[in-house]
Amino acid sequence: MSGGFELDVDAERWRRHLTTVVEATPGIVPVVKGNGYGLGRDLLAAESTRLGLGTIAVGTYREVPEALAAFGGDVMVLTPWRPFFDHVVLDDRVIHTMSRVEDIAALAAAAPGARVLLEGETSMARHGLDRHELAAAVGVLGDLQVEGFAIHLPLGPNGRAGGNFAEAQSWAAVLEASQVETTTLYVSHLTAAELTALRTHRPNLDVRPRIGTSLWLGDLGALSVHATVLDAHLVARGERIGYRQKPMPRDGTLLVIAGGTSHGIGLEAPKASSGAVQRGKLLAKGGLEAAGFSLSPFTIAGKQRWFAEPPHMQASMIFLPAGSTAPEVGTDVDVAVRFTTATFDAVNLR
Amino acid sequence: MTSAPLPARLRVRTISGSQHLDFIRSRPSVSFLQTPAWAVVKSEWRGESIGWFDGDRIVGAALVLYRKVPRLKRYLAYLPEGPDIDWLGGDLERWLDPLRVHLKDQGAFGIRMGPPVVTRRWHAGTIKQAIADPVLATLSDVPADVNDDTALAVATSLTRLGWKELPTEGGFSAGQPKFNFQVPLAGRTEEDVLAGMNQLWRRNIKKAAKAGVEVEAGTRDDLAEFHRVYAETAERDHFTPRPLSYFERMWDALTAEEPDRLVLYLARHEGDLVAATTMVRVGEHAWYSYGASTTAKRDVRGSNAIQWQMMRDALAAGATTYDMRGITETLDPADSHVGLIQFKVGTGGEAVEYLGEWDLPINRALHLGFTAYMRRRG
Repeated sequence: MSGGFELDVDAERWRRHLTTVVEATPGIVPVVKGNGYGLGRDLLAAESTRLGLGTIAVGTYREVPEALAAFGGDVMVLTPWRPFFDHVVLDDRVIHTMSRVEDIAALAAAAPGARVLLEGETSMARHGLDRHELAAAVGVLGDLQVEGFAIHLPLGPNGRAGGNFAEAQSWAAVLEASQVETTTLYVSHLTAAELTALRTHRPNLDVRPRIGTSLWLGDLGALSVHATVLDAHLVARGERIGYRQKPMPRDGTLLVIAGGTSHGIGLEAPKASSGAVQRGKLLAKGGLEAAGFSLSPFTIAGKQRWFAEPPHMQASMIFLPAGSTAPEVGTDVDVAVRFTTATFDAVNLR
Repeated sequence: MTSAPLPARLRVRTISGSQHLDFIRSRPSVSFLQTPAWAVVKSEWRGESIGWFDGDRIVGAALVLYRKVPRLKRYLAYLPEGPDIDWLGGDLERWLDPLRVHLKDQGAFGIRMGPPVVTRRWHAGTIKQAIADPVLATLSDVPADVNDDTALAVATSLTRLGWKELPTEGGFSAGQPKFNFQVPLAGRTEEDVLAGMNQLWRRNIKKAAKAGVEVEAGTRDDLAEFHRVYAETAERDHFTPRPLSYFERMWDALTAEEPDRLVLYLARHEGDLVAATTMVRVGEHAWYSYGASTTAKRDVRGSNAIQWQMMRDALAAGATTYDMRGITETLDPADSHVGLIQFKVGTGGEAVEYLGEWDLPINRALHLGFTAYMRRRG
């Protein structure tokens, strides 16, 4: 079926990639969180089962009930447990992340026997225990079962995984010298080569990478996103259109295409590399952008096109200048999406 | 709602040496650098005993050493490993503000102190493992076995009150060491302490006994013999020895305060002196202060025997801590200091981190000048 804002997955190619990654990454814990990287958490949970994996990691406690239903193994929660959470799921298959000494004491009192990970505070400075707090953390564990130690490393240079090897090494050494009685180290954002090096340097540790993006979205060639053209109108220069009655800059075609804010269209994640130069370039581009138009993620006739007005909830209005061949109503156009912010009408495994 | 009465303002004033000593005797322990006798040892500094008064009651004390600025009647007021006040009770301003006022009246342009506050501890096993791990290069890299949040908060309070921590290099600042090694004795028997040592230490203690090494306490007259071995050690280990007169002055001052404040230990093998040390004790805290050993007859393990005797005597005297004093922060096996740490780690004790030494400038210009002058002197 077609007629919306959809993701097509070349199932064979995608699964071939998943298998390759899993086989090359012993101990892998797939991350199944948020919008399921655009693919949906249930699909990813099912794939994790198909891949024969024993543990998945979810982002929040809200995601746990669904994960427990969709997956038969253990479910690890990446967001650290807090005493004020009112939606914590206590289950033998749930592994809680602990990042504050007082929280450990509180969970030990509330749910003795619960399975936990201790997380170290890395240079991310997001969650985690200081290395000097580890003894105190162990001191209040009570009957909690420590399943491992976790570190979440920042992205390396250029925003890619890697470059954090020294920090990973340091934490591995800290874990071994600490009173924390576990030999399982969960890591994020290390390259395959770094994982191998870490295992070589730390033969006593069971290093388990938690991987999301490079597993599920590691072969973008297997994924294609398309949106259906729902309507097309010829417009003249100066003609006012849309909710905002904005005048068109020249003659052309107005396309109404499936995919709006509810699909994640027009939502822009903050860019990591928006330095002064990058911002200058954007300003200098001028053109329609200077006239208050924004570039859309829709590609028509080989070019990324401009929004005629801000995207609506379900559809977007795109301006196509005269001279370009407008697609027929009912046909599909390509869309460039950020998968972690996209919601599709359908995900089609083909 | 009830509210506690406002605490009375504390006042600081000069006290006599005997008042100071009485206060020290009422406490479990203070650093030996905070005893009135220490002012006599440090004869090149002017010493003053001061007390904190809550009304008529003395609630804190310190030994202040004044170091004169060349050509000016202004001083750096130094409170080594002090003052002895309620560091962890909160409201430090209540204690430190009257201190500043008093010392300023005495002509101080700045104050330097070493809060006797332990922030972290690392057990011997942890340090041993860390030395073996190439990634863990300093004690700060190693997860502490005990972390005192209240003590760590003192640093924040001091900073807020305008104090600045003196930078250290490898844990050694110009003043007293930040990292020390201590053997806890509280609630332990001789057997416990011995059992806590590593195999090498136990074997060496046994070996010394079997070889017939005898450890005895010396008199003032034996200081010369101690000094001969000490000078030999200084040459071997490349440090500048203090003159015999320094040790005689220390002996006279400390033993006058308490007969067993300072004890000289001599380890002999078949009449030959093979090791000699001094131990200082204030209440429940005993320090191994100076040590020396001969190059000859190292195999009879006089150093282990003499340490063991000091520990046993400290234990018998009711000490809760046997303090082997400073260590560097490094755990790098390539660093020459690591041998000293390994020797101390073998006792099964723990490394402790103090809050370090802190400065409060009273006259900023003079303080800056003095700091620069001290840096040039090296």
